[in-house]
Amino acid sequence: MDNRVVNKKKKPPRDWGAMFLWIVGGFIYLFLTLPILVIILSAFSPNPYPEFPPTSFSLTWFNEVFTSSEWLEALWTSILLVIIVTPITLILGTTAAYAIARLDFPGKQALQALMMSPLMIPHVVLGIALLYQATSMGWIGTINGLVIAHLVIAFPYVIRTVSVSVSNLDPALEAASMNLGAGPVRTFFKVTVPLIKPGIMAGAVFAAVTSFGEISISAFVSSPNWVTVPVRIFNYVDQTFDPAINAVSVIFILLSVGAMIIIERTIGLTKVF
Amino acid sequence: MRRFIKNQRNKGFYWLLLLPSILFLIGFLVIPFVLLADLSFRDVDAYMNTQDTYSFAQYAEVFSSSTNLKTVGITLIVAFITAILTLTLAYPAAYLLVYAKRSFVRTLLYIILITPLLTSMVVLSFAWIVILAQNGLINQILVSLNVIDEPLSMLWNMQTVIVAYIQVLLPFAVLPIATSLSDIDPSLTKASMSLGESRIRTFFRVILPLTIPGFIAGFIIVFSLAAGSYITPLLLGGRLLPLLPLNIYQQVIQMSNLPLAAALSFTLLAGVGIVVSFFVWMLNRWEARMNG
Repeated sequence: MDNRVVNKKKKPPRDWGAMFLWIVGGFIYLFLTLPILVIILSAFSPNPYPEFPPTSFSLTWFNEVFTSSEWLEALWTSILLVIIVTPITLILGTTAAYAIARLDFPGKQALQALMMSPLMIPHVVLGIALLYQATSMGWIGTINGLVIAHLVIAFPYVIRTVSVSVSNLDPALEAASMNLGAGPVRTFFKVTVPLIKPGIMAGAVFAAVTSFGEISISAFVSSPNWVTVPVRIFNYVDQTFDPAINAVSVIFILLSVGAMIIIERTIGLTKVF
Repeated sequence: MRRFIKNQRNKGFYWLLLLPSILFLIGFLVIPFVLLADLSFRDVDAYMNTQDTYSFAQYAEVFSSSTNLKTVGITLIVAFITAILTLTLAYPAAYLLVYAKRSFVRTLLYIILITPLLTSMVVLSFAWIVILAQNGLINQILVSLNVIDEPLSMLWNMQTVIVAYIQVLLPFAVLPIATSLSDIDPSLTKASMSLGESRIRTFFRVILPLTIPGFIAGFIIVFSLAAGSYITPLLLGGRLLPLLPLNIYQQVIQMSNLPLAAALSFTLLAGVGIVVSFFVWMLNRWEARMNG
């Protein structure tokens, strides 16, 4: 026994187990990136079907997307939704995440669970529920159903990112502000909000990315006048094969990479996920 | 006394901040579900128009049809298989993430892991069509290498849906397991191995028990997302697969039978809820045991 330990110290044997794990793990990460690599490969190829290895480079499909009125309209709807949804979720989510961290009341956990529930509830169910509500309210043909759906789905992400920032906040700073005579309102706007800005920024990015990519509920509540980019992709894929979708998808991938960089710079990826 | 008044004033302000969100959640999350529950008890006429009368007709239809019951069972089984496979693959992936020595490698793995999370589900599903279609990537490669003469038909079945699910949902499993894994004191595994246990036995007797919280958290999220999604199965598996979310979508979009869709929705919620509560109960029991 002793001998073995000494031997091990002298000449560390190759750790085959660890090597095996790295190979298996490497394949898993490759599997994870495969769809994204294939999309990028296909988007810059002039052929409608993917080829490997790629033979030539072209921007045909991007050109097609940016000259098609259907794609441009969908893009406009998606951007409009991001512009409407992001600030509203940000205000709702920031105030709620902060207030709930400072309050203690019976049913607090239930309320927190309710706030996060849109992440867990099957989206097909949420989709019908919101579709039926939108129909009852007479919102058919308007953008309202999409706005509500995107607010509901983006809200928990803002709660999560802002909560991370609030839990890192030193309560002594707020106490100091109040002891110096500032009321809770002034303290909130002058001390708290500037301090939790990273969480708010990350929340904004999350809300925007979630709204831009949302499909499961949007497919229910969108109307022919208001079709978002993911719903357009969904309808096209369901009916035909349109290689221009590769180019649209690249836009999505670029946005998610951009979003990741911002989240990493603000509160750090490891904190949110 | 002054402090007490101040405290009360603060509390009032906090409640004021919370109020809009509470109203928002009631208006657009609670009320829609109440309306949906109401809808699930409504009758329909021969043209699928919702009537004002109430009955258990929709639920009777769900539970009396063997096709529907089978669909419920298959949905839960497929979600279960997806969750188990996803979590199995999540362990090596989480291991790499936690034990990568260079920070550059770790950042790269993180980016690979998070990109699918932030990319639209419809984009990822479309990518799988590009990979698996008759003239897709895999068939092109196999034909050009002369492995096969005729392109394989890989779309439109349940296995393909499960493969795509695993890819889309893997990050949800890796992240909680990685959190659990990084909480383990490395000296524990070292102790186990230096006491002569093999790596595999160390995994099953030390690492797996200590990562149970991460495992269950990952299982719950992957299972509920796999049981509740219709986008991936519809695009890769087609409308005819016996999955409850697909069935619900069809009832709304094609049959316009909203009350039946509502009853199916609550059946789905109940099925997922029962499985998830069982795992939450297991997690609580486990934690109670671990903490004495």
